[in-house]
Amino acid sequence: MLDSQPQRAAARLLSWIEDEDPRAVAALQATWSRTGNGYVIGVTGPPGAGKSTLVDCLAVHAAAQGHTVGVLAVDPTSPFSGGAVLGDRLRMNGAQQQGVFIRSVATRGHLGGLTATTRYLVNALELLGCDLVFVETVGAGQGDVEVVQLADTTVVVEVPGLGDEVQAQKAGILEIGDLLLVNKSDRPGADRLAQELLSAVELGEPRDWQPPVLQVTAIEGTGIDAAWDAIVDHRAHMEAGPLADDRLARQMHELEQQLQQQLFRDRMVTIGDKALRSAAERVLARRSDPFSAINRLAN
Amino acid sequence: MGGKIRVLIAKPGLDGHDRGAKVIARALRDAGMEVIYTGLRQSPEDIVSAAIQEDVQFIGLSILSGAHGHIFPRVLELLKEQGASDIKLIAGGIIPDDEIPKWKEMGVTGIFGPGSSTVDIVDFIRAQSGA
Repeated sequence: MLDSQPQRAAARLLSWIEDEDPRAVAALQATWSRTGNGYVIGVTGPPGAGKSTLVDCLAVHAAAQGHTVGVLAVDPTSPFSGGAVLGDRLRMNGAQQQGVFIRSVATRGHLGGLTATTRYLVNALELLGCDLVFVETVGAGQGDVEVVQLADTTVVVEVPGLGDEVQAQKAGILEIGDLLLVNKSDRPGADRLAQELLSAVELGEPRDWQPPVLQVTAIEGTGIDAAWDAIVDHRAHMEAGPLADDRLARQMHELEQQLQQQLFRDRMVTIGDKALRSAAERVLARRSDPFSAINRLAN
Repeated sequence: MGGKIRVLIAKPGLDGHDRGAKVIARALRDAGMEVIYTGLRQSPEDIVSAAIQEDVQFIGLSILSGAHGHIFPRVLELLKEQGASDIKLIAGGIIPDDEIPKWKEMGVTGIFGPGSSTVDIVDFIRAQSGA
């Protein structure tokens, strides 16, 4: 078994970050200069596409290449109880045996595929020495594209049997893939889906990175070598140029979002429930329209 | 502690009857806890390593095969070795009544046999977590 003390410390820091415990902020402030060494690979796709099994295969492969690998596996929180059953780990026995650090993460009400704090969870894994972090999103819908704000390379996993070729033309999740994987390629329709995805990619404006479309069968380990090579290619492409600008843009976005939240919270405290309530009463009684009420509250 | 209660549910040993484990996982979820479900045939090493990475307060083991005589001491020993004895071990399944005092003395925090109510288990975990 791996030395457990650093793992325990990292695991506790992950919990503080998730719980938004003030100790997390202090710990990250003290260690910030030592973070940032991890390359983040996002893996997204619809529920049941085989994301966890695929992450397991890729993590084992990466560990064998000498990487220190961490995995963050996100599953949904129940909107009713606030609880969750986190089952991604079930599919990650191979990675667990290789000493990969795996953490199951619940969304805790956050929408978009990740959690409010995933960025900092990655940093905690970097402190543990992980130079490669896989982030598996919840089973994603067409609009759950938040993972691109976090990942240096985004892998979109699709499976045959979910829809026709128009699905492949729709905006959203298919646009964000740096690599499109057709999993469960032992099933009927896989070749056709791969063809359709490829035509969808080729119909777009040529970009300096054309996302490859590859077929894999993760449960059998088929196609994993080629998938890994494609990730390595994309990483080389990014590191040869776009990565620095990309990371800067993402960091700006991240700071902007958190700043917005903080400013919003502070402002709401200043405005107070009383003013909000009396504004609502005026709007309901038709003594004010909502637009004027908002203007008055905001100024 | 303002944090979520996190519980690892595992099914060590070779029997494949995981319905009990799934019922418990669902009950804890419905009580607002985060349950890490690790499935069948987990070794004590796997279980303790997963519990540390997941930073759970509780490990729940479901054993129906009679292997508990080997598994409980090994899990407790590994937790101690890893400096993680603060993680509490709870067990369910087929544990003979006359053995229960022995296991509790050895460090198994709670034992819930067939017919236990999920409400009692939820209450027990809440009480033990100090929440």
